[in-house]
Amino acid sequence: MTARERADARVGRVMLAPALVALGALAAWPGLWVLWLSLQRRIPVFGIEHFVGPSHYAFLATDPRFWNAMEVTLIFTFVSVALEFLLGLTVALALQRQRRGRRLAVALLLLPWALPSVVTGRTFEWLYHPSAGLLNFLLGGAAINWLGEPGLALPALIIADVWRTMPFVALLCYARVLTIPPEIYEAARVDGAGAIATVRDVTLPLLQRVLLIALLFRSLDALRAFDLMFVLTGGGPANTTETLTVYAYRSLFQTLQLGFGSAIGVVVFVLVMAVAWGYLRVMARAEEATA
Amino acid sequence: MSGTISRVRPPVSKVTAAQYFVVRVRRAALLVVVAALAVGCTGGGAESGPVTLVFKHAKILGPADPVPGLLREFERRHPGVRVQAESLSWNSDDQHQFFVINLEGRGAAFDVMMLDVVWVAEFARAGWLLDLSPWVARAELDPHFPSTIEPATWNGRVWALPWLMNVGVLYYRADLLAKHRLEPPRTWEALVDQVVRIRAAERDPRLDGVLWQGRQYEGLTVNALEAIWANGGRVFDKNGVIFPEEERAAGGLALLRALIVSGVSPSWVTAADEELSRRHFGDGRAVFLRNWPYAMDLFQAETSRVRGRVGIAALPGRVGGAVTAMSSGGAHLGVNRRTRHPELAAAFVRFLASAEAQKAMTVGGALNPTRMALYHDRDVVRSHPDFPVVHDLMLRARPRPVTPAYLMLSSTLQPEFSAALVGVKSPRQAIEHARRRATYLLEGLQ
Repeated sequence: MTARERADARVGRVMLAPALVALGALAAWPGLWVLWLSLQRRIPVFGIEHFVGPSHYAFLATDPRFWNAMEVTLIFTFVSVALEFLLGLTVALALQRQRRGRRLAVALLLLPWALPSVVTGRTFEWLYHPSAGLLNFLLGGAAINWLGEPGLALPALIIADVWRTMPFVALLCYARVLTIPPEIYEAARVDGAGAIATVRDVTLPLLQRVLLIALLFRSLDALRAFDLMFVLTGGGPANTTETLTVYAYRSLFQTLQLGFGSAIGVVVFVLVMAVAWGYLRVMARAEEATA
Repeated sequence: MSGTISRVRPPVSKVTAAQYFVVRVRRAALLVVVAALAVGCTGGGAESGPVTLVFKHAKILGPADPVPGLLREFERRHPGVRVQAESLSWNSDDQHQFFVINLEGRGAAFDVMMLDVVWVAEFARAGWLLDLSPWVARAELDPHFPSTIEPATWNGRVWALPWLMNVGVLYYRADLLAKHRLEPPRTWEALVDQVVRIRAAERDPRLDGVLWQGRQYEGLTVNALEAIWANGGRVFDKNGVIFPEEERAAGGLALLRALIVSGVSPSWVTAADEELSRRHFGDGRAVFLRNWPYAMDLFQAETSRVRGRVGIAALPGRVGGAVTAMSSGGAHLGVNRRTRHPELAAAFVRFLASAEAQKAMTVGGALNPTRMALYHDRDVVRSHPDFPVVHDLMLRARPRPVTPAYLMLSSTLQPEFSAALVGVKSPRQAIEHARRRATYLLEGLQ
């Protein structure tokens, strides 16, 4: 290493320092603090503050409310992301074929995604309204109890979530579709590929990377789902829509069990990291395959 | 890129490190002196110089906000004092979170707080509230409704003064009951009977029986407790045993479940809150409604479809059960323990809770005072003709369990109550699970 290179490296480290410090202060420090909290029984209202080791985790392992929240979270994530994926992709491909009014379609598509989630929540609250809701009206005045029936509440929330975030997947895919050179399609046509074969063998492989990224974002978001449940059902009926983050919120902020609530937070963190790691592995492999 | 960066040198300063250090230390010392002076001034400011009290309260809904007028009146009587009112979101969860974060963080950015009645014991136990006993004699609370006093005086000290009163009541369609020659029902059995008769005679498939709040939130706790109380059950006994009369508690939940199964209540009450059920009843689509007194003004509004056709009565009890039980609600006023003006803050709270201030609030808005005498005051009754009736109902109100762990208890009970209402668990199972969880959580918390 020459002196010039060493100097460069030094400057590089100095310039990196603010980012590292910020990351440390904003991410690592609170993360470690939550981990430390989760090993304590800490309830400020009662002046309780002592170290209990991993006992909150032991409790969670046999806590039916926790396992129910885990199940709700995983079902919500899997179903809503799968639907967003399918619909988003379909919409992107449809946009590609669209000749007229493409801009208008894109603008309309952006609308649900741009709305603040509480507004979305309120909108759906009215759509699902049992007696004055548009949905029941369209179903011929049916009295379907969308948000108060154990079997229906979670699907109702999933529909709201899909409506809200499908455009995100669609726009990401559409942006990629736009960059596919027309010559490739021309070549496919010359080779005699039909519409289905073109999508399957040309478009989809080219979309693979962007789809994986969209899925990664959406899965991580869905695993932390909170606002829709909070606004629409409060986790009910009978906790059938209580996700892990809702459970964590209730324990942490509503009932101030800082240690116990933090333990749930740590579980959510581990879950999110595991899923992210899985996606990154798949992406790396896809990268290798194309390289 | 990196090559160009490495060539950039910081401009050489003429100030040496030592000189720089001295300048910094001097500046810091000056700052400390200024800060100390500032603290000294405001610390002794209760007697001299202008003082600002900050009052944090929930948004006051209603035709006119009477709070600003009251603040000006207090300022007039305490020259040199300014009261700044800051309103929080209407959502009670948000308010609680705001207070908790600021009080636990030892913030003194506000002096006086409007507190939901179920938070008083919690905040007092946490040491966030100033003990008002030096300023407020226990007898000063006597003119307020009895159910407001237990929360205000948790553990034998005065922590807060009652300000706004609420009670769960039964609204009924007076026109329908009169048409079928019925009196407001005294028991749930009679209510079910009346619903069946009225609906059979009216032949209106869009007319529901009784509406209440069964969504999984605090309102569900209130509704379920009222049913459990009506059935002779309790949440705690003297020794802290949860649901000591297990069968009676389960019977209360079974009553609510039966209303849904039999169709006397529409199935969507399991997703209903106060406003959802209030609107449906206000559209003339139900015979009975359990709600708080605020709804009366809306039913009697000029644009209301049920104007002049609504009556108000006690919530029903049960045949052979205990006396009827209606939950109280409302707000108290407390003082931040870290206030710099305890004397003034206490005076302000006493002023707001005074008969004069409560009267001004009631006449000017749709709020229910906690002072019993006001319900028979001539000026008040003129603008609120139903107040004498409401008074008798409020007199019978019962507080939810007064414990610092109330929110923990309630959020543990809610999913179990909800499970019983939607039929996921039998009422007995739900009570059993609720008891087990609550016992575990509350262990060692007193």
